Amino acid sequence: MTRLTARGLTLAYENRVVVEDLDLEVPDGKVTVIVGPNACGKSTTLRALGRLLKPVRGAVLLDGEELAKLPTKRIARSIGLLPQTPVAPEAITVADLVARGRQPHQAWWKQWSEEDERAVTEAMARTDVAALADRSVDELSGGQRQRVWIAMALAQETDLLLLDEPTTYLDIAHQVEVLDLVRRLNRTRGRTVVLVLHDLNQAARYADHLIAMKAGRVVAQGAPAEIVTDAMVRDVFGLPAVVVPDPVTGSPLVVPGAPWDAAVSSDAP
Amino acid sequence: MSLTEKAPAAVARPGATRPAGYGLVRTGPASFLVHRRSVLAAAVLLLLLAAVSVAYLCVGERTIAPGEVLTILTGGDSPAAFVVEELRAPRLVTALAVGAAFGIAGALIQTVARNPLASPDIIGISQGAGAVTVAAMTFGLASYTVLPYLSIAGGVLAAALVYVFAWRGGLHATRFVLIGIGFAIALRSLITLFMTKGDFLVAQQAQIWLTGSLNGRGWEESAPVRWTLLLMLPAVLWAARAQRTVSLDDATATALGVRLGRVRLGLVAVGVVLASVATGVAGPVDFVALLAPQIARRVTRTAQIPLFCSALLGALIVTAADLIGRRLFSPVELPVGVLTAAVGAPYLIWLIVRSRTGEKA
Repeated sequence: MTRLTARGLTLAYENRVVVEDLDLEVPDGKVTVIVGPNACGKSTTLRALGRLLKPVRGAVLLDGEELAKLPTKRIARSIGLLPQTPVAPEAITVADLVARGRQPHQAWWKQWSEEDERAVTEAMARTDVAALADRSVDELSGGQRQRVWIAMALAQETDLLLLDEPTTYLDIAHQVEVLDLVRRLNRTRGRTVVLVLHDLNQAARYADHLIAMKAGRVVAQGAPAEIVTDAMVRDVFGLPAVVVPDPVTGSPLVVPGAPWDAAVSSDAP
Repeated sequence: MSLTEKAPAAVARPGATRPAGYGLVRTGPASFLVHRRSVLAAAVLLLLLAAVSVAYLCVGERTIAPGEVLTILTGGDSPAAFVVEELRAPRLVTALAVGAAFGIAGALIQTVARNPLASPDIIGISQGAGAVTVAAMTFGLASYTVLPYLSIAGGVLAAALVYVFAWRGGLHATRFVLIGIGFAIALRSLITLFMTKGDFLVAQQAQIWLTGSLNGRGWEESAPVRWTLLLMLPAVLWAARAQRTVSLDDATATALGVRLGRVRLGLVAVGVVLASVATGVAGPVDFVALLAPQIARRVTRTAQIPLFCSALLGALIVTAADLIGRRLFSPVELPVGVLTAAVGAPYLIWLIVRSRTGEKA
């Protein structure tokens, strides 16, 4: 079952084509991760899945209907999206920002309901930011801020959640924290999540379904254990590497080839 | 809660996740979020405005006691009735309306541009109004009754041009401000050209208009701005709500189901109409639209620029500046724009200096 699919998607900025004729299915109730080298079109694809970018050709379908033809507010009740570098208004408090995630469920004359209250409380509890409710977003650490943004997207209460590189600019501990949170949401709430990630190892660890892109096309997709191989890493990233089982999870772990000086000395007679 | 009270930091409010500082007003199925501090600030500003308004009516070439002013306003008879009712009150109402219009216009344009430097007198709207007005004055193309309408047309036209030129598959906030500044400079030189071409006396009159003046503005002259404010009220109420999402970044706002293109165009349109009409009536009273929203935001500490308080502050600034301008070098009267510029220009410099130190404004 897939609620969100892309058919023959061609995406471009001005006249520069970034993604060409792409077909994609987002499996329901799973964590899907899109990986690929810089400028392969992975973020662009995610933006199109979240109707931030209008396709030149082809379409993104939500429950069989073209996104471009659906009212944007209706889409916002099904798809939540966290962009790569969201910007909060100056001096906004955490609770105020999270509450703005309720926008698609509100109207001018219905600005706050018990449903809103419940959704915001729950989103803040889940992301562990309830204690920060009255703090200004400006004064939070990077990890806390990212959790607040995720809380806002959660308060939107959508079945589908798209996150564009949610671990960028975070140290390794906070990266793991955010990815664990994503997995918990998926496992305990059945949310369908699509992530764009830079780190292939994290992708292999947290994805149920992995999509590898290169130069605007899908090169491989499937369970990480099936598709992450030496050959795939060389093909997609142009990197000689060895794939071994992750000592903790058993998922594929990519170890890049020998560094320059080691390679030189091993070549020496 | 006092105006100087700091919000408590890092304290969990169990069960109360309604955004901090907001109160809830319910009537039947409808519910409204009300920012408590903004309500308090508005009450204080209204009191200040009342005090300045009374002073405005009392002080002049002939000082009239507050008690006598009150008698006149409540319909009583007094030898000073003519001065209060026919001279000072109409000018006061003009000052209030013009100030409020500039305050709202500045708030909306700054919201869309996401930049405190964006205001109608910076991004070319005032200059558009000025160019058309001065052209009409110097070439004797228009009578003084149609000048305000020409000026409104000029402002709206300039704004439309800036908007179209700043558009590239979407509205980029910084682009919008920079192109606006470019237009402002170009139109400013056009104004200079018209003034050097025109008759000396007319050029002098045009100069006074360009500074922003409330001299001789009565009921009839202020009608456009009063009516526009009234007609725009529903749009302003809509805008106050729309600001909540427009103040986020483009991608986030779109993801929340906001039709950003249309909403932004709507916000700019309301702001431009109000600024143009106010300029048409009083000339470009510089810096009011820049100052009022920024002060209002600092007073209320809202995450977006508060519209109602911006309107009150705009009205307060213009009224107080005109009162001072009338009396400072009496009997010589300073145009209100001279006073607002004297306060506003240093503030603008401060804003720029502060933003260079890396702080967001």
